[in-house]
Amino acid sequence: MIRDVISSVFLLVGALSCLLGAVGLVRLPDLPSRLQAATKPQTLGLLLVLAGAAVRLELESAVTLVLVGLFQVITAPVIAQLVGRSAYRSGAVRQDLLVVDELAEKMPDD
Amino acid sequence: MIRRLAGVLWLTIVWVLLWGTFTPLTIVGGVVVAVLVMVVFRQPLVPERLHIRPLHLLALFAYLIYDLVVSAAEVSWETLRRGPAARGAIVEVPLLSTSDRVVTVMANALSLSPGTMALQIDHDHGVWYVYALGPRDRAGVERARMRTLKMQRKVLAALGSADERAEADRLIAAGEAR
Repeated sequence: MIRDVISSVFLLVGALSCLLGAVGLVRLPDLPSRLQAATKPQTLGLLLVLAGAAVRLELESAVTLVLVGLFQVITAPVIAQLVGRSAYRSGAVRQDLLVVDELAEKMPDD
Repeated sequence: MIRRLAGVLWLTIVWVLLWGTFTPLTIVGGVVVAVLVMVVFRQPLVPERLHIRPLHLLALFAYLIYDLVVSAAEVSWETLRRGPAARGAIVEVPLLSTSDRVVTVMANALSLSPGTMALQIDHDHGVWYVYALGPRDRAGVERARMRTLKMQRKVLAALGSADERAEADRLIAAGEAR
């Protein structure tokens, strides 16, 4: 009973966080800001959903979920950085949305 | 040698976790696969030593989890409140470590921090360029810069040398004085 309550709280909050991430993908204006929505609320949402599932599973299956969470936390930032960097270099970052761009001041025009 | 054994141990743990069953077969199979992987894909050993401080490392983990929660809340709030009118900034921040492994941890930590990610790391000049979602004026930009410095200080507390920590403290004090 208590397990069910804990599990549903985790699942619902996690799902809400994922939803907010998805809303961010639609509402935010350019690629780097959308990457933030795709990495942060999504990562937290996934971890909470995993935690919610782990509470109701037997131990052996639950530990596998630890791996899922671990690899999400390790890989998401790497992908975000690679996409962000290539976007910047190919000019997909909208300059009019930046308060300041200290990288442009340093990069030679090529 | 100890490093290679640690590699085998870690890969075995991943293997067993992937199977999700603790039987002799999965454990022995894991060791065999791990040794094969380590032999076939020989990684160069990095000679540098990390100054690991276990308690600070635990504190760093706790801080990162807290940071991820704050982060998700801040990005969600920015989405709901500003949406298409959200602004960002690309900020130059001093890179407070020369160790590749510490920098890797910092870049990962930065991605869990509120609204930020690393765009470009310039080892030669000791700076990195950080994208931050949210700043709307110069003051916001400076806040993002300070936040990134303080995050690096936390990573150095767990993995850095005393010199690197002293340098970080100096930069943070200078930033706060401004």
